[in-house]
Amino acid sequence: MTHESTVTHDAIDEMLFAYFRPVPAGADLGRRVLDRLRDRWDPERFTAQVAFEASGRGVSLVRPGGRARPPVSRAAKRLIDRARQELFDYLEGRRAFFSVPVDFSSARPFQRKVLELTHRIPFGETRSYSWIARTIGLPDARRAVGTALGRNPVPILVPCHRVLRSDGGLGGYAFGLDMKSRLLGLESSTPVLEGCTTTGIVCRVGCSAGGRMRDDHRVVFATVADARSVGYRPCKVCRPAA
Amino acid sequence: MITERALMRRVAEGDAQAFTELVSRYSARLLTFAWRLLGNRADAEDAVQRALMRCYTSATRYRPDWAVSTWLYRITTNICVDELRRRTSRSALRRAAESEAGNGQAVLLPAGDGGPAGPGRHLDLRRALARVPREARVLLALRYVDGLSYQELARVRGISLNTVKSQLARGKSILRAALKGRGRRRAPAQAAAAVTTKGAER
Repeated sequence: MTHESTVTHDAIDEMLFAYFRPVPAGADLGRRVLDRLRDRWDPERFTAQVAFEASGRGVSLVRPGGRARPPVSRAAKRLIDRARQELFDYLEGRRAFFSVPVDFSSARPFQRKVLELTHRIPFGETRSYSWIARTIGLPDARRAVGTALGRNPVPILVPCHRVLRSDGGLGGYAFGLDMKSRLLGLESSTPVLEGCTTTGIVCRVGCSAGGRMRDDHRVVFATVADARSVGYRPCKVCRPAA
Repeated sequence: MITERALMRRVAEGDAQAFTELVSRYSARLLTFAWRLLGNRADAEDAVQRALMRCYTSATRYRPDWAVSTWLYRITTNICVDELRRRTSRSALRRAAESEAGNGQAVLLPAGDGGPAGPGRHLDLRRALARVPREARVLLALRYVDGLSYQELARVRGISLNTVKSQLARGKSILRAALKGRGRRRAPAQAAAAVTTKGAER
């Protein structure tokens, strides 16, 4: 079976072969995998199906499925890989912000203004279409805002799902309304800030510095003010106070 | 018997039966591989299931110039290595070790030359393997679970043939040193020395 293993067939080899001798898995493993694929909404599967495109400057396209154009450069490939990883962490509730840059250069000036403002809506919060229209100084442009967000080239990374109708309705969403409410639910149940009891630093969930924290030193905060009141300082990497 | 590439083609077309057939051929080896790396059965099963899900959903992206086995092992290895990276905290490692101690089946070994046979040795090997750096451990696992060739190992990990050879040699000499030093504490410096002499012999 093994072609080259006869070279040094000593006692260690024997032990390793015995240690790694295959143990039978359940006969229905394939069936269980198929069930898991069919029944459950699975972040892993969702992330694998999302199509990303990027320029050298940032992610320029996020689509629920279909083929994406191959990355234009190594830098673009790295950005896409990073975006996919961050999206997965976000959907798993391990990340409260995206650090991967986005590229709005294909958007027209009005849409760009809307997207840039939407990009700054904090994790776990919501705004209305008319709030956006008012904030960019065009209070009558509610519908245009809706259209601009409906054509959001980078949904999720630019959180257009955090924009709702003023009457409380969900509005629309490129990934479907189920997904919109799922994301809002996810954000309302995911902690945003976590502090480390040994360093006294508070990070946004998903910060690379916070990843090194031991579980038993982790403490969750609702706001930076809460954390400050008990002596924590904001992290300089993910800058939760900004 | 249908060739694996033909099976993969059918999987890509969404043929569930072809998928279960493919899974049944590899499930035991993939599970053992993940179990030995992650330390407990529950995590291993989850990792293998996730790997197979990825295999099913991205079957259209499978390129036939890869052997199906190499491709499957690459997906599974990446998931296991991600999982190991995620468990950087000590407490998680300890938990995994404890749960393995609970359900670990002792493998009875045939009496070799020197050293007692039986579950004791199995335990020693597990402890010794824990000292082997991650990359070498992954390669050892792949090599001994399914006898992958050096070329296949290089492809699975995306590293050069020479790196595969040196990592495997290094891993084995660390194991040898750790198992020899069984009973009395062996200074890490000595283990490192064993590595370099081994390299010089070649």
